[in-house]
Amino acid sequence: MPAEPGPPGISCAGLAKRFPAAGGGLEVVAPFTREFAAGATTALVGPSGCGKSTLLRMIAGLETPSAGSVAIGDETPAEVRARAGLAVSFQDPSLLPWRTVRGNVALALTLARRRAAAGTIDRLLALVGLEGFAGTRPGALSGGMRQRAAIARCLVTEPELLLLDEPFGAVDELTRRQLAHDLPRLWEARGTTTLFVTHSVTEAVLIADRVLVLSPRPARVVADIPVTLDRPRPEGVELTVAFAELAERVSAALARGAAEGGQTGLAAQ
Amino acid sequence: MSAAEAAAAPARRALPGAPLAGVAGLLVVWEALARLPGAEVLLAGPMAVALWLGENGALMARALAVTGAEAAAGFALGNLAAVALALCAVAWPRAERLIAALALLVFCLPLVATGPILRVLYGPGPGPQVTLAALAVYYTTFVPLLVGLRAAPAAWFDVVASYGRGRWAEILHVRLFAAAPYLVAGLQIAAPAAFLGAMVGEFTGAERGMGVLTIRALRALDVEATWALATVAALVSIAVYAAIGAAGRRLLREPPPVLLAPPGAGGGARPGAALGQAALAGGVALALWWGAMEAFGLNAFFAKRPGDVWAFLVTDPGAAAHRAELFGALADTLALAVPGYLAGLAAGAALAVALTLAPGAAAVAMPVAVALRAVPIVTTAPLVVLLMGRGAAGTIALVAVMIFFPVFVAALHGLARAPGQVLDVFESYAAGPLRRLVHAQLPAMLPAFFAAARMSLPAAILAVTVVEWLATGRGVGALMAISASLSDYAMLWSAVVVVALATVAGHALVAAAEARVLARYAGEQRR
Ligand SMILES: Nc1ncnc2c1ncn2[C@@H]1O[C@H](COP(=O)(O)OP(=O)(O)O)[C@@H](O)[C@H]1O
Ligand SMILES: [Mg+2]
Repeated sequence: MPAEPGPPGISCAGLAKRFPAAGGGLEVVAPFTREFAAGATTALVGPSGCGKSTLLRMIAGLETPSAGSVAIGDETPAEVRARAGLAVSFQDPSLLPWRTVRGNVALALTLARRRAAAGTIDRLLALVGLEGFAGTRPGALSGGMRQRAAIARCLVTEPELLLLDEPFGAVDELTRRQLAHDLPRLWEARGTTTLFVTHSVTEAVLIADRVLVLSPRPARVVADIPVTLDRPRPEGVELTVAFAELAERVSAALARGAAEGGQTGLAAQ
Repeated sequence: MSAAEAAAAPARRALPGAPLAGVAGLLVVWEALARLPGAEVLLAGPMAVALWLGENGALMARALAVTGAEAAAGFALGNLAAVALALCAVAWPRAERLIAALALLVFCLPLVATGPILRVLYGPGPGPQVTLAALAVYYTTFVPLLVGLRAAPAAWFDVVASYGRGRWAEILHVRLFAAAPYLVAGLQIAAPAAFLGAMVGEFTGAERGMGVLTIRALRALDVEATWALATVAALVSIAVYAAIGAAGRRLLREPPPVLLAPPGAGGGARPGAALGQAALAGGVALALWWGAMEAFGLNAFFAKRPGDVWAFLVTDPGAAAHRAELFGALADTLALAVPGYLAGLAAGAALAVALTLAPGAAAVAMPVAVALRAVPIVTTAPLVVLLMGRGAAGTIALVAVMIFFPVFVAALHGLARAPGQVLDVFESYAAGPLRRLVHAQLPAMLPAFFAAARMSLPAAILAVTVVEWLATGRGVGALMAISASLSDYAMLWSAVVVVALATVAGHALVAAAEARVLARYAGEQRR
């Protein structure tokens, strides 16, 4: 796919979201201003219900911000979507039940009006550990397998921007490690700009170049931690002191956010 | 016996013997009744019917080919129209209410009066039969299809949107497939309705076909021919119904749901907004009516315009007399239609509930009822006249039977649809079947029951007017027959308008009752 000017970075300026609700509305994302470098992988970590999905959906342009704006390169999210330059893996895998796994992956190509080289889908399915399930319908898959099919669907269009919402939430521990090892290699090789939501600290440090820690609702950046580990991650990196220190910093930021954010969260209501 | 197998096909696979047993029982009872002393002047049993068919096979085959072709054409056209309308409603959500209102209005046109008008508009040929068949099917496909097109979870549309695609991609890749089971349910119901429409079209003055044979047999008091015709109509309808169901099950993994939820029925619209909508729909309908007459340059003698009807009923010197005649006839018709309709509703719901309390019975009754629902009941109108004479009882009974089957099937489906987890909760408290019924199953049944009640209103009018047309010589049906033979087209058109409006009003009444009842007993069930 033609990525002539290189993958775009993302810039969020004062991005905020308030859902209409009784008593002035529910503030879900506090004004959020951040840049995401082109080709980097960023993890968004925060407690459940803090507004991570909403933030990701705003960046994809699927949710209208109450204030602020998003620029992807020098385009709006809608423009990037219109040329199928981004792909989202939703928290709920949302596979179409009447399509097989292969059909669901192929749907992304159809929607993006693209073709893939022969064997691309099979290679991706093998990558996410679904070889042998190409002809299976989602109804016959486990939750984790469905999520992996949704990831394959995201990757098949080779997007410049990848937005993954808790992509491994239902994936079993062993497979999750495998994926955390394999997938970053793929999207780094492609130079994809990746944002992924998780509430696993280890996963964030293992996969991302940078971890943004968010407070409880309304989401606010508590810490912005660069991950200074070798890339690709060497075998056994989880056991190193450097890794443990980073994980510790993220955990501490989470706890700090919970302590402060709880108050702002109450105040906001 | 392939007909019995066909009848058995719509049954769930769990109990392969049950439907066969039901059909066999039906045949035995029928034969036994026919053999009662004195029954031979009214009733021909399965044996006699088979013998008659053996002797008149060629005649019946020719008539069936004619009627079947008309029904098939009407089925195709009506369902295409339904699909097109439903797609328009989904593609332009702002137009949805208007489209639904116009679709309902056309559905409420009394087929018996529309037939003769179509006859003069089309001239000789199968046009009126095909049109009536199409009119008889499109609404029962339109409604479930619209529900199905809107039934997909929002997350699926996010996937489409994330690749920058819009409404048409949603329809093409998501909605059409999500709606497929609903379409199958609609097409199944449409098959017998198309047959019914074609036969009613033939009643109103065709040269060939099973409707013509039916009228001839009735005039000649030929009991065996009448029963044979009704049997063939029923078997063909059941076979097509079953074939569509089987094809649907092959194509789709899940069995099609039969619940026919309304398009935005009682969707919390304020009375003012609803009135505005109705006025808009009425205005558009008048404009379309007038526009169609003008566009085709139709002769004003038989192609009346809205102004002609207004003059006939309101401003003419004889308007009062016209009104008295028309409304008098309407009162006669409603006096039969309303009790029959209510009796059919009550019987359908009551039997469904009773069967649910007697576990096992529903498993036997369901396939038989599903099969019998496919019988184009109106084609048996001559039988009812034979059986019960020309008095009120016969007509009311026919209406009740006509309403009974769709309501019964919908209610059974609704009762069976009580959410599994809710029933598990009742189970865990060892609640008896009666408590379970009242607190879990009845609320689940109500939406299906009301949907069926709304959809079967025009059927009640159709049943009464057909009997009036063919036999009793009273009411709107007879008035329309007389007007048609006297070429009194102003009266004919006025009858169409008034009956359609009365039916729409009835529909609104049922919808209002539905909204109140559902708000009280099934709050979470409303969509
Ligand atoms: N469409 C919506 N309308 C109202 N409230 C919403 C909507 N979507 C999400 N919320 C609320 O916003 C908050 C954050 O949701 P979400 O972004 O999904 O959190 P997270 O992904 O971090 O778990 C939750 O309290 C949720 O209830
Ligand atoms: Mg989330």
